[in-house]
Amino acid sequence: MFNYVLRRLLLLPVVILGVTFLLFFLTQRLSPEMRASLYIKDPRQMGALEEVIQKYGLRDSVFKQYGHWLANALKGDLGYSQSANMPVGQAIKAYLPATVQLAVVTIILVVFFGVWFGCVSAVKKDKWQDVVARLFSVGGFSLPIFVLGLLLLMLFYGRLGWFSPGGYSVYTDMIVHGGDFHSYTGFLLVDSLLNLNFRVFGDVLSHLVLPAVTLCIGSFALMVRVMRSSMLEELGKDYVRTARAKGLAPWQITYKHAGKNAVIPVITLASIQFIRLLGGTVIVETIFEYPGIGRFGVIAAQQLDIAGIMGFSLMVAVLFVLGNLLSDVLYTAVDPRIRLD
Amino acid sequence: MNSSSALLDVQNLRVSFSTEEGTVQVLKGLSYSLPKGKVLAVVGESGSGKTVHALSLLRLLPPTADIEEGHVLFEGKDLVSLPERQLRKLRGARISMIFQDPMSSLNPVLTVGEQLKETILAHRKISKLRAKAAAIRLLKKVGISDAARRYDQYPFQFSGGMCQRVMIAMALALKPQVLIADEPTTALDVTIQAQILRLIKNLQQQTGMSAVFITHNLALVADVADEVLVLYGGLCMEKASVQAIFKNPLHPYTQGLLNSLVSINKKEDLLPAIAGNPPVPGKECPGCPFAPRCQRAEKRCFQTRPPLFGKREHQAACWLLEEKA
Ligand SMILES: Nc1ncnc2c1ncn2[C@@H]1O[C@H](COP(=O)(O)OP(=O)(O)O)[C@@H](O)[C@H]1O
Ligand code: SF4
Ligand SMILES: [Mg+2]
Repeated sequence: MFNYVLRRLLLLPVVILGVTFLLFFLTQRLSPEMRASLYIKDPRQMGALEEVIQKYGLRDSVFKQYGHWLANALKGDLGYSQSANMPVGQAIKAYLPATVQLAVVTIILVVFFGVWFGCVSAVKKDKWQDVVARLFSVGGFSLPIFVLGLLLLMLFYGRLGWFSPGGYSVYTDMIVHGGDFHSYTGFLLVDSLLNLNFRVFGDVLSHLVLPAVTLCIGSFALMVRVMRSSMLEELGKDYVRTARAKGLAPWQITYKHAGKNAVIPVITLASIQFIRLLGGTVIVETIFEYPGIGRFGVIAAQQLDIAGIMGFSLMVAVLFVLGNLLSDVLYTAVDPRIRLD
Repeated sequence: MNSSSALLDVQNLRVSFSTEEGTVQVLKGLSYSLPKGKVLAVVGESGSGKTVHALSLLRLLPPTADIEEGHVLFEGKDLVSLPERQLRKLRGARISMIFQDPMSSLNPVLTVGEQLKETILAHRKISKLRAKAAAIRLLKKVGISDAARRYDQYPFQFSGGMCQRVMIAMALALKPQVLIADEPTTALDVTIQAQILRLIKNLQQQTGMSAVFITHNLALVADVADEVLVLYGGLCMEKASVQAIFKNPLHPYTQGLLNSLVSINKKEDLLPAIAGNPPVPGKECPGCPFAPRCQRAEKRCFQTRPPLFGKREHQAACWLLEEKA
């Protein structure tokens, strides 16, 4: 178990170096002049191009430049993000919590409903409950996120006006950035509760619902399928027959015996989905103008904000490895064969 | 085999499976009665329907199976038609089962102790603490040393033989009247087989319970059983006391099985076990199921199925016995 975690942690620098170097290498496809021009806001200063190239060493070898970036990154300096108008580190700190918040809410919905529907679907195989769950799952799977997102936007925002589009309300912004609001965790959903400000909480929640539901659907469909097939497999196993032969009640057989074994593959899937949500809520955050890290990544990429892109991918790589680690730890919590090995 | 003293009375049991090739009958009218305190061995080659028969007694068959006909009488109740809730009260409490593969028969993610404890709690209204104490006592009783520590371990930390001991402990936890043991030693090492067999026999004698002991190995039968039923192609070929089966087998199939035993014992490979293959469900001939392999088969053997001939104590389904009857 300890070795397991250790091996994963040793993987961390390898993955991070690989990902960031690759990206850095790609940014070098742009000529030094092009990259230098990104630093210049005013066309009249174009004459200073050479000066900038010299100053930042943009003509040095890839390795030297990468080494420079890495050395700074290790010191905690990820450079300045032109697109966000603040240091990259600060931008991540500002945008990541909103995305984590969205991802956590989404994954909780996905796991809860996915496991539930998958279980029912398996236990009631070929009955109407199963048919409904499977239709739902196929539908969700084949509906692209941007289509679903726009449909929901049209319906709940356009028609019904239940949820507000765009960023948080002016009130929320004022409160959050005003002096009295304590930032305990950085997650507004939690902080607003801790500050006992339910209006902010409601506002944050109403901005969370549609993106979370949109993100849910695709992952939920896969979760139902995995849970269903896993549950069906477990229900056919010998130990389930034993449980029946012992005279246990149906709910004990389904949930305590088969269920506990069937969720093992779900853990892996959920961690993969969680990581994907953290790094890949780009479309949804864009559609709903949700102030998260995905939108930061998109804007950085659009505006060729190299420091921003590098910082964003570094963050995704770290999350990727940590997410896998989390999955392993969860695994061992359920499966004694790994825990005690 | 007097049915008035029978604890379990199986009458004309017919079980079929619905498969892609249609409905196949696996049990074709099996009848026997299990006397109180006795061990009945059900012997048959692989595929003869032993496991299906065992599972049908407590209605543990998969959903594709159907008990088309027959009764399983136990203490005045017919287990075939008993409502599920009432049947559940009997399962594991009055009638228990152990299976062929002890490793896969235990839940890999629950401790052995938990699985024992929940069995007790499913049938007894006692505190968890007392259930745990009872579970540890049971583990000791089936020969697991260091039971208190083993209680908290998982099945994968046990050997196959130890897992089967746990299964036995679980089966006996509520002092059942009937134990159904489906090839309980087949998956185990030879040396362990003898230990487990002795354990089952000892516990059966101590508690005075009845048992249906299922095996494909006629050699095991002599040590364990009081009565023997030879199963072939879902039909009873012969049933008699264990002495009668070994001294005076009436059915050509039983004789063949005994011959193959002798040849194994003498380490001679002169006699092949029995030439040919057992029938495939759904593709058998209308007559005696053994006819395609029987050296004494006549024309009518292929056409008409022989009923059981002989006295209650010793019956066999073979046309050769018709004249004697
Ligand atoms: N789930 C099933 N579906 C279809 N046929 C089955 C199923 N289980 C058992 N059978 C058939 O029933 C016959 C008897 O099986 P079984 O009782 O397991 O034999 P045994 O235990 O004597 O080796 C086999 O020929 C097998 O093909
Ligand atoms: S009935 Fe005929 S085929 Fe069947 S065992 Fe007897 S002699 Fe052989
Ligand atoms: Mg079997």
